[in-house]
Amino acid sequence: MKESEFEIKAIAYLKEEISKEDKHEFEVFLNANPAYQEEFDLLAASWRQLAKMESPEPSENMDSLFFEMLNSEIEKGKKKTNGWSGLQALVFNVLRPQLAYGVLLLFIGLGVGYFMKQDDTFQAIEPQSVSSEENQEIHEKLVLTLLEQPSANKRLEGVSEANKISTVDETVINALLKTLNNDANVNVRLASIESLTNYVGNPKVRQGLIQSIPHQKSPIVQVTLANLMLALEEKKSIEPFKQLLKNKELDSTVKKKIESTIASII
Amino acid sequence: MLSFSKRLQKIILLFVTFFKKFGIPFDNQFEMQELSDNVLMLKVKSGDIDKLGLLYERHKKRLFGFFFSMNCDAMTSEDLVQNVFIRMLKYKHTYTGEGSFLAWMFSTARNVNNDHYQKNKRKQNQFDISTVEYKLDDGNEADGKMAKKDEIEELHRALMKLAVDKREVLVLSKLKEMKFSEIGQVLGCSEGTAKVKAHRALKELKVVFKQMQKQ
Repeated sequence: MKESEFEIKAIAYLKEEISKEDKHEFEVFLNANPAYQEEFDLLAASWRQLAKMESPEPSENMDSLFFEMLNSEIEKGKKKTNGWSGLQALVFNVLRPQLAYGVLLLFIGLGVGYFMKQDDTFQAIEPQSVSSEENQEIHEKLVLTLLEQPSANKRLEGVSEANKISTVDETVINALLKTLNNDANVNVRLASIESLTNYVGNPKVRQGLIQSIPHQKSPIVQVTLANLMLALEEKKSIEPFKQLLKNKELDSTVKKKIESTIASII
Repeated sequence: MLSFSKRLQKIILLFVTFFKKFGIPFDNQFEMQELSDNVLMLKVKSGDIDKLGLLYERHKKRLFGFFFSMNCDAMTSEDLVQNVFIRMLKYKHTYTGEGSFLAWMFSTARNVNNDHYQKNKRKQNQFDISTVEYKLDDGNEADGKMAKKDEIEELHRALMKLAVDKREVLVLSKLKEMKFSEIGQVLGCSEGTAKVKAHRALKELKVVFKQMQKQ
């Protein structure tokens, strides 16, 4: 048996924390080893002395101090609980009607706020629509003004401004048709055709385009109108084109184009 | 994994809590006496602070004996017993109910003792046995009583001459209720190491005692 094993078993034996088998084995070992037996006997004597060593009784003062401390802790705990329950009682009993009114008012406020918000939305839309109408009016006036300018560039600008208007007024259409028939600049006239193609659904625009065919002198404008009428398959345009064909000064290429257009439309 | 007895303790505690919530009186004195230290401490943890009183009644003498054996000062030992219970109350939330309650309590006691002497820096080997009267009940003869008193005083002196860690392991080993596995938990070592420490401390005590007798 190793020294450490002896140490462990000896103290376990003394404290009676040893199994029956180990106890028997240890006793056999001690009988066989007198030196260890002697050492164990001395140790056992010390152990017995130690076991005899008694401690005095604590005084009653210790008890009274302890229970004083414990009671104060219990009181503290109760106070904490009382504080919380007091708050709960205050909220749920005394303040219950106030709480109910408060919640009711909150909901009323929320409801009113919700409807007021909706009204605000309508009110906000109205000025916007008003302002967009005003905007369109200003835009139309600008188009009319620009189309009357002596500068071709300004008039072109006027036509491009007309393209920006979603729903045009009859005045603007008349102005564009007037430009198509009377403007000195070919580019302006071409631009006005382009602009008027946006409103071909309007019978007045179609009529105006057809009526302008005989008045056109420029070959490019004539070809553009021929292409447009072909695209629209406008049979009413045949007669004006035939009138145009009677013109002896008509360019031969344009003539061929108009003849093919008439043939296609028919 | 929790052992069966610990599970049972937890179940009992749950029942007690349940009954108390519904205002059904559950704990009478008899039942309380039957409840283990673990269950009582778990009740303290759950807010039933007055159960600490029962734990105090059960362990006050053991704790006082531990402190007295460690420092031989009755007044200080009484204060330290009080401090153990204050600390148990303060750190009740750390108690899990797993492991031995005695080991947990004596770990707290050991810390309280160390803190006290670190704070006060007093001589730990100071011997002041006269502060408390011994209550020795064997033998009526004054001579025998005196002889025994002398021997015990001598032994206390010998114990006080040992290093604190050796004294500690002997004092804990002396407690019948403490097993070496629990002593190991208190000292923060294995059961085997605790046994070896106890054996060596006992040997040293024997030597010191002999030396004192020779003088």
